[in-house]
Amino acid sequence: MLEDVSVRLGDVDVLSAISLRMQERRVGIVGRNGSGKTTLARIIAGLQAPTRGSARIDGDDMARDRKSALRAVGILFQNPDHQIIFPTVDEEIAFGLMQLGHDRDAAARETSAILSRFGKSGWHGAATHSLSQGQKQLVCLMAVLAMRPRLIVLDEPYSGLDIPTRMQLVRYVDAVEASVVQITHDPDHVRAFDRVIWLDEGSVRMDGPTDEVLAAFEAQMTAWGQDDDLSDLAG
Amino acid sequence: MISLTSPVETWAHDVPAGVKLAALSAATVGLFALQNPIWLGVALVCAGAIVLSGGLRFARAAARSLRILIPFLALIAVWHGVTGQIEAGLVVALRLLTALTLANFVTMTTRLTDMVAVAAFLLSPLRRFGLSTRAFELSIALVVRFTPAIAQKGGLLAEAWRARAARRVGWQIVMPLAAIALDDADHVADALRARGGLDQTP
Ligand SMILES: Nc1ncnc2c1ncn2[C@@H]1O[C@H](COP(=O)(O)OP(=O)(O)O)[C@@H](O)[C@H]1O
Ligand SMILES: [Mg+2]
Repeated sequence: MLEDVSVRLGDVDVLSAISLRMQERRVGIVGRNGSGKTTLARIIAGLQAPTRGSARIDGDDMARDRKSALRAVGILFQNPDHQIIFPTVDEEIAFGLMQLGHDRDAAARETSAILSRFGKSGWHGAATHSLSQGQKQLVCLMAVLAMRPRLIVLDEPYSGLDIPTRMQLVRYVDAVEASVVQITHDPDHVRAFDRVIWLDEGSVRMDGPTDEVLAAFEAQMTAWGQDDDLSDLAG
Repeated sequence: MISLTSPVETWAHDVPAGVKLAALSAATVGLFALQNPIWLGVALVCAGAIVLSGGLRFARAAARSLRILIPFLALIAVWHGVTGQIEAGLVVALRLLTALTLANFVTMTTRLTDMVAVAAFLLSPLRRFGLSTRAFELSIALVVRFTPAIAQKGGLLAEAWRARAARRVGWQIVMPLAAIALDDADHVADALRARGGLDQTP
């Protein structure tokens, strides 16, 4: 799916020559802060064109063919405040549907359907800016799911949420029929996944069955935790 | 006076936006035809009754968003008092208050999407000249969405300032606030792109 992807921003190589083929239903991507996870998510979703190489889903180039990309992949940003475009919950969810060509009425019907599927019919017309962080995250998830993409990319969806909120959101994500690529720095969040990819300084450090990759990742993280690499400045 | 759509559901929420806006236009034209302060007073009472029909909680919210009119009304009263045209002053003040009470009622009971749909319909002749009304619709939504968000971020910056300074919040937070606004604009652009951008698949 990813062919020899490299990304250079300014004069930093954020991703170098990454090639991956993903077919699993649940893939985790782990790595430290700054390892390039968010950049990889944006590449997969086609929000950014790689400097070299390409990201394809079923043959379509995600950055070039935006029309196909809309049906192929949905992305949940790390910060829901960066994702919510509209003042009300309905408009936020209906927008994507209208982008897919639904007319206003059809979009309104689908919006009601997804709200009631999540037991959130009471959220009709609610103002998005007054929602809690977890509620915003859920609105974003509903807005993405409403478009029925085949793949959903989640960029650290649970950071900053309390434990009960996270558990509830996990339940919703577990029920998602589409394939999921979830990015996280916390190995516990992807423990039940089919495959885990460990990203380090813009390259794939390890890729394989969840248990093996997470064991190595945790060992390395603990070792680094005892060092002092906070003093190193990038660049 | 952008009072957002009221979360309190009233009967008027179910009336189509086009009907409400047409009625509002007709009423406003009518108000300008009325010259008699007594009839304008009756009109104001009617407008008040319409707002009250939405319930007490709704009416209180409506009254709150009309409060910012008080200084204007006071100014009109003082001006006409000084120039001695009490009746003319009364006419202007009543007309203004009634028209805005009605306009506010329509804003509070109409979802933004519906309001924008009406505007887009009225602008649709422009489409024949190749102008996109969609950008216009989107920009209204963006203003409503981000005005409170940016105000809130300004508040947070001011708080961060006060947490570490005894002096009053200074102009220095203007630059970081502008930077935040630009950064936000970047994120919205991304969010739009993630869901297909401005062009709509027909
Ligand atoms: N626009 C940019 N210009 C230059 N460097 C960037 C830009 N965006 C991100 N980076 C750098 O790329 C690296 C990876 O960033 P990111 O993908 O956000 O990592 P992660 O999500 O894993 O924390 C970081 O070192 C960051 O400083
Ligand atoms: Mg990140």
